[in-house]
Amino acid sequence: MKTKGKRFIQSAFLLLMTTLLVTNSARANDKVSYRLKWLRNVSVVGALYAETNGLFEKAGLDVQVKPGGPERDAIREIELGHADFGTASADQVLRARTKGSPVVVIAQLFQVNPLQWMYRPEDMKIDSLADLNGKTIGVTFGGNDETIMRTLLAEAGFNDRDVKLFSVRYDYTPFYQRQVQLWPVYRNAQGPIITAQLNKEGETTAFFNPADFGVKFVANSVVTHSRILAEKPELVQRFLDALLAGWEQALDSKNEKEVLAILQKYDPDTPTSIQEQQLKITRELIQPNPSIAIGAIDEKSWEQTQQIMYDQKLLPQKIDLKEILK
Amino acid sequence: MLPKRVFQFFIIYFLFIGGLMIMKYSLHLSDYVIPAPSDMLHTMVAEYRQYSLATINTMTVAIIGQVLSVIMAFVIGIIGRQSTWLGSFIKVAAYNIQAYPIVALAPILFILLGDGFITRLLIAAMICYFPVLLSVLGIMSKPIDDIEHFYRVTGRMRWQLEVKIRTFENLTQLTTVIAGSATLAMAGTIVGEFIAANAGIGYSIRIALYQSDLGKILIALFLIGITIAVYQALLELLGVAIKRTWTGK
Repeated sequence: MKTKGKRFIQSAFLLLMTTLLVTNSARANDKVSYRLKWLRNVSVVGALYAETNGLFEKAGLDVQVKPGGPERDAIREIELGHADFGTASADQVLRARTKGSPVVVIAQLFQVNPLQWMYRPEDMKIDSLADLNGKTIGVTFGGNDETIMRTLLAEAGFNDRDVKLFSVRYDYTPFYQRQVQLWPVYRNAQGPIITAQLNKEGETTAFFNPADFGVKFVANSVVTHSRILAEKPELVQRFLDALLAGWEQALDSKNEKEVLAILQKYDPDTPTSIQEQQLKITRELIQPNPSIAIGAIDEKSWEQTQQIMYDQKLLPQKIDLKEILK
Repeated sequence: MLPKRVFQFFIIYFLFIGGLMIMKYSLHLSDYVIPAPSDMLHTMVAEYRQYSLATINTMTVAIIGQVLSVIMAFVIGIIGRQSTWLGSFIKVAAYNIQAYPIVALAPILFILLGDGFITRLLIAAMICYFPVLLSVLGIMSKPIDDIEHFYRVTGRMRWQLEVKIRTFENLTQLTTVIAGSATLAMAGTIVGEFIAANAGIGYSIRIALYQSDLGKILIALFLIGITIAVYQALLELLGVAIKRTWTGK
């Protein structure tokens, strides 16, 4: 009887331990989803690195990284509960907050906005904003580039007669045919591809960066629901730490070979030589200065972004940025 | 017919908006995800003029595109009704052209022809001609034996008479198909504008999407829907009028 009782206690103990282990491991791998802003390419390389190298798992997270696209809106998905985290541009965040969305920013990925204008340096020189006078400039009407360009033109004191704004499409033919002199591109993603194409034709390229002329319009940031931040701050911190570690390691030149292999896996249509350049430029945009931590929120740039949007009547009122930037 | 169509559209649109509102308030969603009725009203007042003009612009292109596509469908359908080699070749060519998705063709058309009126027109015509063509082919290939037999045995049958008999006997079906294709012409034009044009309601929707403004998109949908409802009702009235003239009833 004693032996039977002892066996029963041992079995019960074993069962309890197993249950505890299973429960603990399930708790350790909290399931969350992260909606990217764009497709899997160099602009999201930090998330790809963290995903491939199990950085999320190490932080006790089971993260489903979902590619974005033009029809995706991470903020809407977060509010509807389809995603826990996401990447959104500053203008999206500000528009959403003015309409009552409970979205908060937990990290700013790009310190320098990759949205810049490509031009041919043999045709023009841009030393000051006055050099834009008389030029045909490509913009996506309704897009961020229009907002940024209109701010620059207002700074220069130009009106619609001083420059010609050209509606930008998916194809670059008007730029290749020199119908348009400045064409908006994502400096790190499209920039190297078009530069390579023009180089083949013996042409050179340069980039007009609005930040060089004082316009710092914030680009992509990591966002979440204010309720998630309030109820699960520890989970948010674990996710953010893993993601930013992914960015840090992806941008470390020591890991370049591995990072290029990851990029090739997800974006096989872009040659490795181009991805090498894309990665180099992305490093400069994410961390232009080693003293600035990856993911740091540049409050002054957020203030300027809000002011620009308010001045252009894209926001009905200004909001307290302290409520958004966490 | 016209008030009925408009009334039916109102029912559908407001049921849709009602569904959105139920979702908004039951899930406590912000105005960013689904705009509040007051926001929509405000957007309607602010954008009504601009969006109405854009819708009329789109509708104009769609109507011209539809007229072209109906002419094209009748020409191809009349030639293709014959069981000759040419008739069969035209049918195969018409089916093959339709197999290419317009979203893949549209950027090429915009590169070749620019982003102006002609490209939008061509896309509208390409999208709506196929259902019309199918109906025309079906109608024109099917003899009306009771009537045609007399003309055949008396040796008075001409191709013009054959087409006239078959059109007359199937007028109701043709009117329904042509009225239905108006929706496709409008959808085709909007797709074209969304992809690459510089004008029209499709272009306005693209801008609203960039600005994450669902309120503007809902207003655009309202204007598109009501315009199509009115146009379709007018086409149906036209069909009835033609039938009355032909039959004298």
